[in-house]
Amino acid sequence: MTAPIVSLTDVNLSLDGNAGRIDILKHIALDVTAGETVGLIGPSGSGKSSLLMLLGGLERATAGQVRVLDHDLTKMDEDALARFRRQYMGIVFQSFHLIPTMSALENVALPLELSGQSDAFERAEAELAAVGLDHRTGHYPSQMSGGEQQRVALARAAVVRPALLLADEPTGNLDETTGALIMDLLFDLRDRHGATLVLVTHARNLAERCDRVIRLRDGMIAPEAAAEAAE
Amino acid sequence: MSTLRMAAKIARRELTGGLKGFRVFLACLALGVAAIAAIGIVRAGIEAGLEREGAAILGGDAAVQLTYRFAEPDERQWLEDTAVQVSEIADFRSMLVVDRDGQTERGLTQVKAVDDAYPIYGTVRLTPDMTLQDALANQDGIPGVVIDPVLVDRLGLSIGDAVRLGLQEFVLTALIDSAPDEAAGGFGLGPRTIVATEALEASGLLGAGTLFETEYRLKVSEDQDLTALRTAVEERFSDAGIRWRDRRNGAPGVSEFVDRLSAFLVLVGLTGLAVGGVGVAAAVRSYLDEKTTVIATLRSLGADARTIFLTYILQIGALALFGIAIGLVLGALIPILLTPTIEARLPVPAAIAIRPGPLLEAGLYGLLAAAIFTIWPLARTENVRPSALFRDTTGGADGSIRPIWILTTGALLIALVGLAAILSGLITLTLWAAGAILGAFIVLLVAADLIRRLSKRLSQTKTLRGAPTVRSAVGAIGGQAGETKSVIISLGLGLSVLAAVGQIDWNLRNAIAQDLPEVAPSYFVVDIQNDQLDGIRGLLAANPAVTDVQSAPMLRGVITMINDTPAEEVAGDHWVLQGDRGITYSALPNENTKITSGAWWEADYTGPPQISFATEEAMEMGLALGDTLTINVLGRDITAEITSFREVDFSTAGIGFILSMNPAALQGAPHTHIATIYADEAAEGQILRDIASAYPNITAIRVRDAIARVSEVLAGIAAAVTYGALATLITGGIVLIGTAAAGERARIYEGAILKTLGAPRRAILINFALRSAFLGLTAGIIAIFAGVLAGWAVTTFVMDTDFRVEPVSAFGIVAGGILVTVLTGLLFAWRPLSARPAQVLRARE
Repeated sequence: MTAPIVSLTDVNLSLDGNAGRIDILKHIALDVTAGETVGLIGPSGSGKSSLLMLLGGLERATAGQVRVLDHDLTKMDEDALARFRRQYMGIVFQSFHLIPTMSALENVALPLELSGQSDAFERAEAELAAVGLDHRTGHYPSQMSGGEQQRVALARAAVVRPALLLADEPTGNLDETTGALIMDLLFDLRDRHGATLVLVTHARNLAERCDRVIRLRDGMIAPEAAAEAAE
Repeated sequence: MSTLRMAAKIARRELTGGLKGFRVFLACLALGVAAIAAIGIVRAGIEAGLEREGAAILGGDAAVQLTYRFAEPDERQWLEDTAVQVSEIADFRSMLVVDRDGQTERGLTQVKAVDDAYPIYGTVRLTPDMTLQDALANQDGIPGVVIDPVLVDRLGLSIGDAVRLGLQEFVLTALIDSAPDEAAGGFGLGPRTIVATEALEASGLLGAGTLFETEYRLKVSEDQDLTALRTAVEERFSDAGIRWRDRRNGAPGVSEFVDRLSAFLVLVGLTGLAVGGVGVAAAVRSYLDEKTTVIATLRSLGADARTIFLTYILQIGALALFGIAIGLVLGALIPILLTPTIEARLPVPAAIAIRPGPLLEAGLYGLLAAAIFTIWPLARTENVRPSALFRDTTGGADGSIRPIWILTTGALLIALVGLAAILSGLITLTLWAAGAILGAFIVLLVAADLIRRLSKRLSQTKTLRGAPTVRSAVGAIGGQAGETKSVIISLGLGLSVLAAVGQIDWNLRNAIAQDLPEVAPSYFVVDIQNDQLDGIRGLLAANPAVTDVQSAPMLRGVITMINDTPAEEVAGDHWVLQGDRGITYSALPNENTKITSGAWWEADYTGPPQISFATEEAMEMGLALGDTLTINVLGRDITAEITSFREVDFSTAGIGFILSMNPAALQGAPHTHIATIYADEAAEGQILRDIASAYPNITAIRVRDAIARVSEVLAGIAAAVTYGALATLITGGIVLIGTAAAGERARIYEGAILKTLGAPRRAILINFALRSAFLGLTAGIIAIFAGVLAGWAVTTFVMDTDFRVEPVSAFGIVAGGILVTVLTGLLFAWRPLSARPAQVLRARE
């Protein structure tokens, strides 16, 4: 069996909210192998996005171990996590999260620039062309539609040729047709770069495009999914 | 339900949300209003103090001043018959001489010679405690003298020591703690000495032609009408060149000075309000941006544009009134709390109290400024459409506004400037200042827009590729229109005022302290009698340290008529008409004299009197060749024709007379001579000793001491203006903090995305610091240009001296601008750096 590139062992996540401390994730154990595509589904508040944030090092586990590509994310500081992300990860969000004061090209080139890549803009242009936006490189997020913004976000995630691609409901803010287009692009990018994909979604049909589907409920992996996850 | 009632109802509900977003709004308004109110309270306090103490400051209910002479017996008798009591004062400069251990020490002093009736009101306080009459009485046949402690210390005197004034010996009996009439004295070059007039008979100091003034102070009955008395006095002394003052304005010079300085400070305060206005506008705009969905909802429910506008103008109006009220309370309380300190520093009495006038003035300024800066963003609420509910909610309240609001803003601006011009009384200065503020505002606005566009373009060039920190910082300046404008305008305007004050202050000090002594004489010598002139010239010629001596005959006179019309009606309140002027005569023009038009009289001319007048002052007064001037010299009116104009340069501190006449015109008039002595600084002490020993009656004024005294007064004025400028800068700082605070959410979000994409915190911090530094640098550079321009205008046109750019304060301004913006930026960088990206990004989902 191939060694997992993502391995979560007895992970808990608790956060302080207005109503006191809330347990978001409880005793999560999960392995994802290289090149695998995994769909995370579950009702609102089940902890899907929080689990994805833990995988991206954007959130810190309260307990347990989060290992990605043989690195223990729970032992890394903020800056080490940032450097790790720009080297190995691409993340796509539901609300795109493009920097509003940068053009599409600048947004896509930014992670490569941060890594000191001299060909950042050439690669960014190629990636924008791959998502069909080579004619919109100089436009700012406010000048683009939601679908176009998400395509820029996809290009930005893919441009670093990530080993791990994380997508948090990437079609949540889009209409059905545009959503389908984005999903096609996402899987196309994943195929081109051979990345491992973890996709959070509400839609079962989208999740089923993945190799494996994991259902979360009340911060825990649901039993049927747990069994599937352990296979 | 009427629209207004409906709007008021919605406004009240909306205001229950609290004042959190309005801290900067309130602080900006409150600070601006407080500064103006405080200045007004202090000014009103001084005016009330001068009015309350008017009679004591004046030394009587009214005073009649004569130049160069005592009243003739019939004039004196008329005054005695008219008033309840008359006191005669003579005032002149002299040298106080002390012989000690074979050495002679001298000090310049302003002598007041008094009679037994002095002071009519108030008391002269002395140490040791005794009456003035006792102190001035003969002590073993030698008259007593009381002296200002400053001069006593300078000459190392003790009570009982012998001193001399001219040829008369005195004994020091007491030190002057205070005299009731000193505030009216104005600017004096030497500390005060008081003696009895009768004791000066043998001094040789009050001879015909010497420079002294006499004042006849009158005590009148309570029911006597001062206006009628003034008319009677002016009729009785119509040809005597007298000056009248009365208790209603006991110290007109001080009063005018206080009025002008405070009016100038109010203008600086208004600049502060303009800077604060940027913060006010930004706060209102930000508030209304947040309210776009509320406005769109109200519109979708049927509220018309008028209801929406009224709803928010009522809210902003209520908050503005609250801010102004805070400002008025602060502006009233600060001077009251600081009363002991303020009164101790003022040379005049002050009755500082809360008065409605200054508070009303400051409140009006605050109200107008708040209206000017809030109407524009408020008018944009009309542009919000219900469709904003379905689109990006931040874009609703943009776009152009209707012309009516532009006209309203213009009208309010005119009202504000008009009010400032009327209330300050300095119409020209107010208009110039308003023009300068408006000009600076427009320049800064254009510059902010230019910088934004340039930054946007620069961030897209290939030059910055590969330097993501710099590129994203530059891109952020290009992308955040509101922040770039707010920072550049508020900081730029504040720094511009400070830069202008710095340039003016430095150039003024430079003109006085550095330029002048290079060409200025060492001494001005006055009161040289006709028979002493040759002796003094001979004495100085024998001294090798003396490089030049210039002298001129001198009389004093008052210009009373121009072309047979009262002079004030022709030339207004020009300074040449204020009091008496020095007049000289000369058969031939001086070798340096440059006649600009007309011709000098023949050397032996004996026809009707002719005048050569200073060109620049003539132009200011509207005089032309052929005009006649009537000058009262020692009570005699001389009418003469202006036959030439000539250049007079006062900047070198050499001898310069506005008026020069042909010798025959002044024949027989008793006069003295004035001389300037140019010598090495090291020899100045010996020259003074030589002259004073040989000619005890004459007075030598050391120019360096006079310059130091003038510099001291100017330093005080500069300090007051600098405090005003700093208040403006503090307001700018508040706007900066407000802007940084308003941008904090955006920075937290941006920081989260950058972290997600792999930017370490150091890179994010540098990014934030860089954009702050760029903005600070821009504001600083514009401030230098604006400050230098304002400094050049004031130095050249108001002060009439050469202008040079002062680099140290200019670079200090740029450095300060960068430092302030970077520190403010970093103050609000902590949360963006420490925030967890997951929480920030999910909050935006």
